[in-house]
Amino acid sequence: MLRIPCPWCGVRDESEFRYRGAAEARRPEAAAGAAAFNAYVYERDNARDWHCEWWLHVAGCRRLLKVVRHTVTHEIRSVEAAPGAPGAERGR
Amino acid sequence: MACAALPADIIELVALRERMQVLKALAARRGLPVPATGWIASGRETLVLCVRPERWLVLTVPAAPGSALAAWQPACAGCAATIELSAGLAALCLTGPAVREVLARGCRLDLHPEVFVPGSAAATSIAQVPVILAALPGGWLLLTPATTAEHFRDWLAATARPFGFATGAGVTVASLAGERAP
Amino acid sequence: MACPARIARGLLTDPARPLHFRFDGRELQGLAGDTLASALLANGVLQVGRSFKYHRPRGIVTAGPEEPCALVDVIGARGREPNLPATTLPLTAGLVAESQNRWPSLRFDLGALADRVAGFLPAGFYYKTFMSPGWGWERLYEPLIRRAAGLGRLEASVGPHADPAETVHDHADVLIVGAGAAGLAAAHRLGATGLRVLLAEQDLAPGGGTLLDGRWARWRESTGAALQSFPTLRCLMRTTVLGAYGHGVFGALETLSAEESARFGGLRERLHVLRVRRVLLATGALERLIAFPANDVPGVMLAGAALRFLTRYGVAAGRRPALFANNDEAYEALFALAAAGVHCAGVIDPRPESRAAARAKALGIAVHSAAVVGAVGGRHAVRTVTITELDGRPRFVLEADALLVSGGHTPVSGLAAQLGAALAWHEPQATWIPELPAPIGRVAGSAHGVCGLAAAARDGYEAGDALAVDLARPHAATEPPTLPPDPEATAIGALWEVRGRGKAFIDLQNDVTADDVRLAVREGYEHLEHMKRYTTFGMATDQGRIGGLLGCAVLAAARGIPVAETGTLRARPFAQPVPFAALAGAEVRAHYRPKRRLPLHAWHESAGATFVSTGLWLRPLVYSREPGWTPVLEEARAVRERVGITDVSSLGKIDVQGADAARFLDFVYANTFSTLAVGRARYGIMLREDGLLLDDGTTSRLAAGHFILTTTTANSASVLEHLEFHRESSCAALDVVLTDILDQWAQFALAGPRAREVLAPLVALDLSNEAFPFMAVAETMIAGVPGRLFRISFSGELAYEIAVPAGAALTLWSALLESGARFDIRPYGLDALNTLRIEKGHVTTAELNGNTTADDLGLQRLLKQQGDFIGRTLAQRPGLTVSERLQLVGVRPVAPTARLRNGSQLVAAQAPGASLGYLTSATRSLEFQGWVGLALLSGGRQRLGQRLLARSPVHDESVEVQILSAHMLDAENTRVRS
Repeated sequence: MLRIPCPWCGVRDESEFRYRGAAEARRPEAAAGAAAFNAYVYERDNARDWHCEWWLHVAGCRRLLKVVRHTVTHEIRSVEAAPGAPGAERGR
Repeated sequence: MACAALPADIIELVALRERMQVLKALAARRGLPVPATGWIASGRETLVLCVRPERWLVLTVPAAPGSALAAWQPACAGCAATIELSAGLAALCLTGPAVREVLARGCRLDLHPEVFVPGSAAATSIAQVPVILAALPGGWLLLTPATTAEHFRDWLAATARPFGFATGAGVTVASLAGERAP
Repeated sequence: MACPARIARGLLTDPARPLHFRFDGRELQGLAGDTLASALLANGVLQVGRSFKYHRPRGIVTAGPEEPCALVDVIGARGREPNLPATTLPLTAGLVAESQNRWPSLRFDLGALADRVAGFLPAGFYYKTFMSPGWGWERLYEPLIRRAAGLGRLEASVGPHADPAETVHDHADVLIVGAGAAGLAAAHRLGATGLRVLLAEQDLAPGGGTLLDGRWARWRESTGAALQSFPTLRCLMRTTVLGAYGHGVFGALETLSAEESARFGGLRERLHVLRVRRVLLATGALERLIAFPANDVPGVMLAGAALRFLTRYGVAAGRRPALFANNDEAYEALFALAAAGVHCAGVIDPRPESRAAARAKALGIAVHSAAVVGAVGGRHAVRTVTITELDGRPRFVLEADALLVSGGHTPVSGLAAQLGAALAWHEPQATWIPELPAPIGRVAGSAHGVCGLAAAARDGYEAGDALAVDLARPHAATEPPTLPPDPEATAIGALWEVRGRGKAFIDLQNDVTADDVRLAVREGYEHLEHMKRYTTFGMATDQGRIGGLLGCAVLAAARGIPVAETGTLRARPFAQPVPFAALAGAEVRAHYRPKRRLPLHAWHESAGATFVSTGLWLRPLVYSREPGWTPVLEEARAVRERVGITDVSSLGKIDVQGADAARFLDFVYANTFSTLAVGRARYGIMLREDGLLLDDGTTSRLAAGHFILTTTTANSASVLEHLEFHRESSCAALDVVLTDILDQWAQFALAGPRAREVLAPLVALDLSNEAFPFMAVAETMIAGVPGRLFRISFSGELAYEIAVPAGAALTLWSALLESGARFDIRPYGLDALNTLRIEKGHVTTAELNGNTTADDLGLQRLLKQQGDFIGRTLAQRPGLTVSERLQLVGVRPVAPTARLRNGSQLVAAQAPGASLGYLTSATRSLEFQGWVGLALLSGGRQRLGQRLLARSPVHDESVEVQILSAHMLDAENTRVRS
């Protein structure tokens, strides 16, 4: 089981979070066309490597976190608040 | 362990984008503490919790319906969203030496007194329902959604039975706030 | 004498407290403190079961949870519980146990014929043998094999006798697994630092190997007293750590003592979820078996087990035991038995000489050096032991009634392996030794390959100190206490198998022999993981603990490679079988999952409602306890003809505030909200980014920067998550605040031609069409309560939805009922609501099922032409817009008496095997005779007026239906605007 160090709530069990997919994928511009959106929605590398992903802390602060996790060891290298979202000051 | 219902008016204040300092100044003028995320603070007959960044739950002694919101909404225009949650959250006060042992049967957080020190507050889930938990010198404040509150109280009573369970009474926001958190 | 084999006073047994118990119908006597296994041995009961495949007689092989053979059924308050190891089952007064896998009796078992024809039942035999005829497997072979093979019987019923269970969450800085010499020593050091330490021990008392050596009693007591004095250290006895789950999470199962069980209302087991910063694995080592012919005859027992039975329970494994061992440590069992007055038949040791052999000779015990056991005589008990030379020539036949065996010790490394430990082959001990990465923890003691109690304790002290340093809590170095010295030992002489005539088992529980491994290799299953699956080696409930390395060694020999190159078996969680009840914990029956109750739940109950569970909600289905459609149609009729009221509080409600609230809604909804006037509501649909529908609902604008959004009941949580995700990712720059206000507001729909007249007296508001038209919204006092009024309709009638704070729900509801009394107002439930919305062609989650698009449901006109929104691009994909897609239509049976069923497949009469679509919703109708339904039909909008069949193969029904527009009622929407 993952234990994710939430910057607002402290270390919490994976079960408190909802996985929201790869965080590297950026939503294309509106006019980018079907191929770009198809890649955004469906195409993933699935690498044996560090993976940047969104986790929504639904049972805690309900904030979106950007987590860098290794897909083989599950080691978590970094967790940060969604960039640009309000509230830069850190919790405990 | 005893569990008492805590009658309270509850307002949530949420800072609008980049209006945090304005809200803090307003709070300061009105004598409302604004604790950091993960903490509870008490003001005059008021408890303020912060378990979500830039959002504060303000608990006050119950007054006429709508008056708690009316006290804040006009002043907050332009700096904070104000939402009334008095009926949406059930507030409970847990007291007694067995609270930690009982909660450990559903709560995944480390509630050890040196970790979850008095004044700490956290949102988590217990017995499969959302719970906001805060440690005060005089007891534990617990907020849970109204529609699952009965389920939660049933779970609490059943879980606490081996430790001795009683329904408490007479707890107010004022009495809890009076014991000032550090 | 009641217990012939009880020859001494045991450490744990109380001679003053005899207990009676029954085994296979025999009345026997044991002592308080016994396990079932020790009590059986004390009574001279050697054979306790039959083996899994060959039905060979089996006895007690170990004295702990690693037991492969002595599994029994216990018949008690829980009913029949199978597969309990007798070696860990505490003896209780009146215990009733039965042996397993035998018929008609343990002594005379017809299934044992399998052993006589064993030549036809090698590993993998059923893959090859039972190939034809094709039907044979399912109908003939499998049922036969299932009857013949197996362990205990499971009782089919899970009745009220199931015990309560609970889960506890524990936290610590360090978890120490195992309270033997190393674990206790580490706990002593760590406890002194003030770190929070959890010490988990599967045994009922701490001590591990020190319990078997009298010289260690004082150290054990002083260490135990020190641990008691540490306020931050907790000991969990009778607690097995079941598995390691990464990130410092461990699961453990505690068996409660009788006193604690009584305090917790009969609770027997407690599941602990442990969250720790570091782990110290002091899990010890397990003695391993040697493969030799007939190494499974009752009376063949591991040497260490014999020592445990004698020391802990005062029970001798035999009156004339022999020892077959390749290491010095194993001799301790024989020395202890000899000291208790048992005549030892002799020792067989493959090594030419050893210190322990010399000690044995000095005690007058015959030692047969440079020899092995070539055969065991006896079927139901050991009678003779044939000693052979290392090259296989017979040397001597020994008369013995027990054969103690030891092939060396293997560190218990299952948890370490789950944590990604590196395993290093250690030739001097012929075993693997695990090492953990420092950020996870350490391994210490015999689990770490250390030999001897003093060495293990020293390793434990060292590991404890290292962890304290690692956690920045070192304490002043203290002089380690004087420890009883470990005896000088001669190195082990690695020995895995003695080949000869007869079955040499490497896995006693699954009946896997060394020959099976060689067969697997011959057939190409050379890899350990392939061999394991082909032979089922190590796949039984004991996970092959005492024979695991043995099987690897036999495999290595067959392949001609060193043992170190075969790899190791992966010990998976759980470390021991766990009752499902313990895993479920307290989340059973009433606490299985939360029940969400409407604010007016008590009123609905008192009004005689039948409730239905939808998701977590309990909602009134109909205000009647009698079955059938009559009360449902009565409720619906009230709405169509007069006025009705229903509780829609379970709809999701989300408060949206901020300067960019409208922009945000424009992005998350497929239609536009920035053009919505303050004081108005609009129906909206949300898409997923892949273009399919996510949810629908009405959204109202209370102020320029303040909206109230509603969701379907089923999707309230997922829509909130969806919005929160986008607020912080694709919309991070917007000023918008989302708040879940579902629980805050009670909401009722007041519907029917008389709705306006019912509401009017309760509000100071002009409700005329001009002042408060369809889709108008107001914040106003309603029945003296500050509330929100919406003129929206799900039923298709003139309707208002009224929201008030949940605490005022009853005030408003009662006021509406009172005001409506003159029109005979009726509360209506979910069934009537469904009837009304199906007739109107309104969709719900049956149609918003995750597979449908806006176009499928006829909502394509809502997709805005200008501006970006979630799902905009992919909704235009050809596959989501082709006309053959399943489209929403209305359905009515041609014969008014025929009923419709949800899920019926729509087919053409001439091609009844090809589904064209299916019914999503069906109801008895009020407006039309008989039934009406909604369906998703391929090219549905082009099929209006066609006749098809609605087939339900489950019910063997085929109903001719007519396809209609989904808007079956008031397509012009005149009623809602009336």
